[in-house]
Amino acid sequence: MVTDVLVIGGGPAGMSSALSAGENGSKVLLVERDETLGGILNQCIHNGFGLHYFGEELTGPEFAHRFRKMVEREKNITVLTSALVTKLGENTATILCKNGVKEVKFKACVLSVGCKEKTAGNISLNGTRPMGILTAGTAQKMVNIDGKMVGKDVVILGSGDIGLIMARRLTLEGAKVHMVLEINSTSSGLKRNILQCLNDFNIPLLYNSTIFEVVGENRVEGVFYGQVDEKFNKIESTRKFLKCDAVILSVGLTPDLQLLPNIEKSKTSGLVVNEHYESEMPSIFTCGNALHVHDLVDNVALEGKEVGRYASLYAQGKLESGKTIKVLHSADFAYALPQTLFEGEGEVELKFRLKNKIVRKWIKVKSEGVEVGKRFVLAGVPGEMMTVKFSKNGVKNSVTLEVE
Amino acid sequence: MVFDVLIVGGGVVGTAIFNKLVRIGKKVALIDKASDVATGASKANSGLVHSGYDPAPNSLKAKMNVRGSALFDALTKRLKVPFKRIGALVVGDDEKMIKNLYERGLQNGVKGLSILNRDEILKKVPNIADGNLVALYSKTAGVVSPYYLAISLADEGILNGGKVFLEEDLVNAEKEGEIFKITTKKNVFHAKNVVNSAGAGYNDVAKILGSETYPLSFRRGEYFVFGDTAPLNLKHTIFPLPTRLGKGVLVTPTIDGNYLVGPTSEDGDNITKTTYNGLNEIKAKASMILKNLNFKDAIREFSGVRVISGDDFIIEKSKKQAGVINLAGICSPGLSSAPAIAEYVTELLGYPLKEKEGLKELKDYTLLKNLPLKEQNAKIRENADYGEVVCKCEKITKGDIVDALNRPLKIRSVDGIKRRTNAGMGGCQGGFCFTKVVNLILKERKISYEEVLKENRGSFVALGNIREV
Repeated sequence: MVTDVLVIGGGPAGMSSALSAGENGSKVLLVERDETLGGILNQCIHNGFGLHYFGEELTGPEFAHRFRKMVEREKNITVLTSALVTKLGENTATILCKNGVKEVKFKACVLSVGCKEKTAGNISLNGTRPMGILTAGTAQKMVNIDGKMVGKDVVILGSGDIGLIMARRLTLEGAKVHMVLEINSTSSGLKRNILQCLNDFNIPLLYNSTIFEVVGENRVEGVFYGQVDEKFNKIESTRKFLKCDAVILSVGLTPDLQLLPNIEKSKTSGLVVNEHYESEMPSIFTCGNALHVHDLVDNVALEGKEVGRYASLYAQGKLESGKTIKVLHSADFAYALPQTLFEGEGEVELKFRLKNKIVRKWIKVKSEGVEVGKRFVLAGVPGEMMTVKFSKNGVKNSVTLEVE
Repeated sequence: MVFDVLIVGGGVVGTAIFNKLVRIGKKVALIDKASDVATGASKANSGLVHSGYDPAPNSLKAKMNVRGSALFDALTKRLKVPFKRIGALVVGDDEKMIKNLYERGLQNGVKGLSILNRDEILKKVPNIADGNLVALYSKTAGVVSPYYLAISLADEGILNGGKVFLEEDLVNAEKEGEIFKITTKKNVFHAKNVVNSAGAGYNDVAKILGSETYPLSFRRGEYFVFGDTAPLNLKHTIFPLPTRLGKGVLVTPTIDGNYLVGPTSEDGDNITKTTYNGLNEIKAKASMILKNLNFKDAIREFSGVRVISGDDFIIEKSKKQAGVINLAGICSPGLSSAPAIAEYVTELLGYPLKEKEGLKELKDYTLLKNLPLKEQNAKIRENADYGEVVCKCEKITKGDIVDALNRPLKIRSVDGIKRRTNAGMGGCQGGFCFTKVVNLILKERKISYEEVLKENRGSFVALGNIREV
């Protein structure tokens, strides 16, 4: 098989980049490991998707459906579902699918494989490993796709967005969600989810708290939980027991880059990218949650659209780069993307997350001490991905993000 | 029907005995209270086939280990169970202790032992921690999946006429003449001999049988599992010098490509849990062996309980109850010894070791991903299920999982599928494939969603339909 652009992963990032690469005139092969396109959107039956991209509020499956229809109409795109890319090189990939093990040659590739949830193992959750400890995404799949109840007395560990969504979902299905435990002093979830999923249902959110130990042989029988100090050490004097039959984990997401185990990852655990979202591996572009975890699918789709166009231009030999500008940031930031820009004209956008909460501060972009861009932030939290735009005219060597 | 032998307990030792007795032509039944074989100590250990330098000379442990290890190549080849002699190093700074181990190994009849200096260690283990100046290298030490071995032993036994009964709770045993009448909650079995290989449940079974009980203690060992993408660059098993409590915190590649770091060694009750202190102890001790361990690469922690009875295995004919064979305290090196223990028990029962003619061979269950490319394509052409990946981390296909469900021993647990195929053993720990595996099990087994188990009875994966519970 031969294609101009290979897109790996048919979630919102992949569908969006496949569309824009196709519209740009490149032949696209879109490979999805599941039976249908849509990725995790298919199990997100709540609403709140599409406000930015489509200007209306949709459920996850509706959002996915709209993209799927657009992908089907785009003649330049070939879709291959139930297919897993098992190996990825600079211009070839190996695909395991119902037709066998196939080699694909491509000119450019978009890696849009999404992210995976952190597990009980990743956080060294103490205690036994009975049935009933589920990541929020797995629980969501069981409830929304299979229509099965995962527990009646639930504790949620971590206040990531899927955990918050599942707190509401399980409550609506008749479960008692006793509490959400968050080891940090702030939530990584969106404010609107804390309001709509917890506060509206009187579900307590306990900060600086975690599960000390899970108890139960066959199914979860309860948890010991309590507070932690600033170094996350358990404060034994606060130890309490709660009877429950399910522990739902929402303790973080990581870009799922199993395909490229030996490539150095950035602070987001995604690949290091330049202004075109091209990685350090030539011809491999990346976007969506495979690059950094987004809060809103609308932003994923927008990023995919941009990156699909770059990949298409690259495949056509039309993508021009230039001298590199390094993107640096102060310790106030968890990360900033892309990691490098190209010297030249025009406006660029940096995406970033803060390390800690800030109130009434300026985010400034400086080049060699000189301010080249800024934005005012009334209240910024780590849970929200933010952007800052600036003109790169005349900027050389590096830019640095700072909080003032 | 009267069985020649009824085996109580289907760990790797019980299944090895089962397999051997079937192969010599005996009528054998194996019962276990769990929903699969190998769910006790056999599922949670280091997966090592030791060469035999560690046990005291002339002990049962030494004899069984050395003989057992020698039997592994032919056995695993016959069962098509992956097994590799990757070699092991015992490292430390005490040359005298290393030499003692070496001498002990020679006394036990272990071949392929040598002593390495720091430079030679570095060649084999580039990331060895500082301070490890001398090592005993054991060329023949190997790795195997203990549960996959037990499963395959059971399956091959069933294929040749043996019977395995799962979820059997022993209630009563009485003797009718020379014949045991063994009653469980579900069945009544008649057998001429009974083998008690119940592991942690040994004394409970012994009390019912009227055979000897022993002072047994439980020793919990916690482990970290690192995924195959962890950049450890490690090809051998690395032990610290052994202590009285065991072989210490080791680091080893597994046969499946992951890495194990552990175990701790804590006496207590029979609960497989992980603890804050235990895991921290591993972190501290393992860093004295390897310097490039980053515990952020850990994908799982688990703990196993080994049963200890003094310094040596107890494998003997019961004096209190004729016809009963006692196997107690089969801790490390139990896995390495299992094939030899099977022979030993066969002889204790008074049977010759010679196997009967015309035995059936176990089907080749090699995972699609481990076949040569040509064979992969041929298999997919024949059945498209082999082209459909269910577990993307481990690249396990629907065909692999359906095959596992159709092995001779029928199971209905997600963990059972994990042990047979590695589905759910990778980076996402089943996050993406859990419900897919559940749906394959219920379809193949023709049971409801709620009857699918994670592991044992009571570990049902769902409470029922939403809005109905």
